[in-house]
Amino acid sequence: MIVTSQKPLDEILDFLSPYRAVLLAGCDGCTQPPRGIREARTLGQIIELASRLRGKELSVSTTTVAKQCDSYLALTSLEPQTKDVEAVLTLACGLGVQTIAEVLPDVPVFPAQNTLFIGAERRETATLEERCAACGDCILEFTGGICPIARCPKSLLNGPCGGSANGKCEVDPEKDCVWDLIIKRLEKLDRLSVLEEIRPPRNFWQVARPGRVSE
Amino acid sequence: MEPVSSQPIVAVKIDEEHCSACSICSSVCPFEAIKKDPETGKILLEIEKCQTCGICYSSCPSHAIEAISYDMDSLAGYLEKAKQEYDSDSLVIMCKGSAPDFAEVEKLFGISSFVPLSVPCVGRIPGEILLRAISSLGMKKIYMLACDTDYCRYEKGSAVAGRRAAVLNLLLEQLGYGREVIEFRRNSLKVKVDRNKCIGCGNCAFFCPFDAAKLESGAAEIDLELCRGCGLCVTLCPALALELEHWEGERLSSSISRLSSEMRKPSILVMRCQWAAFPRPDEELDSSVRVIDLPCAARVDPMHITEALANGTDGVLIAACPEDDCRSETGSKESHRLVASLKKTLAQIGLEERVHFCSVAPRYPQTFYEELQQFKERIEGELSKEAGQ
Repeated sequence: MIVTSQKPLDEILDFLSPYRAVLLAGCDGCTQPPRGIREARTLGQIIELASRLRGKELSVSTTTVAKQCDSYLALTSLEPQTKDVEAVLTLACGLGVQTIAEVLPDVPVFPAQNTLFIGAERRETATLEERCAACGDCILEFTGGICPIARCPKSLLNGPCGGSANGKCEVDPEKDCVWDLIIKRLEKLDRLSVLEEIRPPRNFWQVARPGRVSE
Repeated sequence: MEPVSSQPIVAVKIDEEHCSACSICSSVCPFEAIKKDPETGKILLEIEKCQTCGICYSSCPSHAIEAISYDMDSLAGYLEKAKQEYDSDSLVIMCKGSAPDFAEVEKLFGISSFVPLSVPCVGRIPGEILLRAISSLGMKKIYMLACDTDYCRYEKGSAVAGRRAAVLNLLLEQLGYGREVIEFRRNSLKVKVDRNKCIGCGNCAFFCPFDAAKLESGAAEIDLELCRGCGLCVTLCPALALELEHWEGERLSSSISRLSSEMRKPSILVMRCQWAAFPRPDEELDSSVRVIDLPCAARVDPMHITEALANGTDGVLIAACPEDDCRSETGSKESHRLVASLKKTLAQIGLEERVHFCSVAPRYPQTFYEELQQFKERIEGELSKEAGQ
């Protein structure tokens, strides 16, 4: 899922300062933690309160969209609710912000979140961890289902590097060396031989930006 | 000699002079807090283990247990006053855990007027109080509403009350008061799911301390046999797809807006686990303080805290049970985490001091009032700081 973190309130209040009525839209899609109607209502109240402390009345109405990055869902759920507001503030990732900008060309839209990465949620430690770099050239079949592109700071295809020590990474000794994890896992699965083949450099043409796929 | 003031006031004490060391209290105590000393033969109470359920108090044949909360005198005093106020000869005694709402009681028993008595556990009501209500106050009928036995916050409270009612009914019948003078029922409050609103995030299933929540075909489902009504899943549901009976989000919102408007400044809203402090049945707080009792601190919703602040309440005090006492396993701990996280956001606009989380237990009845007083002083300080700016 797409992992986001809330922008500082001051930043949000600054860009909302020209407006008196905004719609705060949650997203039930893949943002983690789920930034649905509860978060919209809670943040909406905090923004109203903070605005009042700055000496200004700002009214925040709230809603949520099943998936803001879907142009049809974004348009149909948000358009009827934007009649009485001057701007939309969204709890979605950067995709939601841009989808709204496209489907509602006359309404200014602002992000309440910074979009961080594609991450996995680890419930046991209550952490969200980057696991996929969306590189467009998946090699997980050779690496025991563990991605060195996203998780090795050097994105090495043939690791580990000389900086791996006691299973930890030289860049951040708090973190596991992902190549150490890959080797241990392949060993356990008795598939270590897949690493005998040297992986050639990645073909960066594979992911021409901006990406576009026809459904 | 220890100075008297350094001893905290405790809610339950054993009066050695009257104690006959019969050990009934120690056999009924659900928490192994009362034991007979094998050497001296004296009955000893370990207050740290005591959950203040009052079952020992209501069971002691020698009146050798002293209880500060809901003791016989205050119950009798309340009943006398309430009898005049409500002018009815039906008494409804209900556990806060199963029936916080009078309208629901009317529906359950099919009665329209009654004298209400809401207590933390019906197991703490001594038989004498029931008999006194019938013989001296002229009550014709007593309705008792307990929690389901496996739901009872004090484990044995509901069962003890049920047995007591059955025995008293036999006695009352023999004395000519008629059959089933005491009508005893059980009821528990549970979580309901709106599957249309559920987004299948799995928070409820992951966090439920009782394994009652599951994802079925992508949406939440609550096993009502296992649900203990703590409300943690409700507070953590990002889609507002869950509701806890009698503590529905909208109902709490409207209480908050009503209470916010009637409080004198500086206003303090207390969101309290109803097992963390026992008010007197007729307690009146200062007009700048209002309390919302909740089934567990787990139902303290950050959304409701911000709502109270946005409605103009100056401070919100959250009173939870100490983590070790929490009967919803993780309720108090999770509540602490959620409040701490909200305070971080509020810190960005200078309002973090307006919200305070404290742990209190009814075994030390003063602590809640001390916390409230300290918080009040802090809020007054914050307000005068702001006024000076």
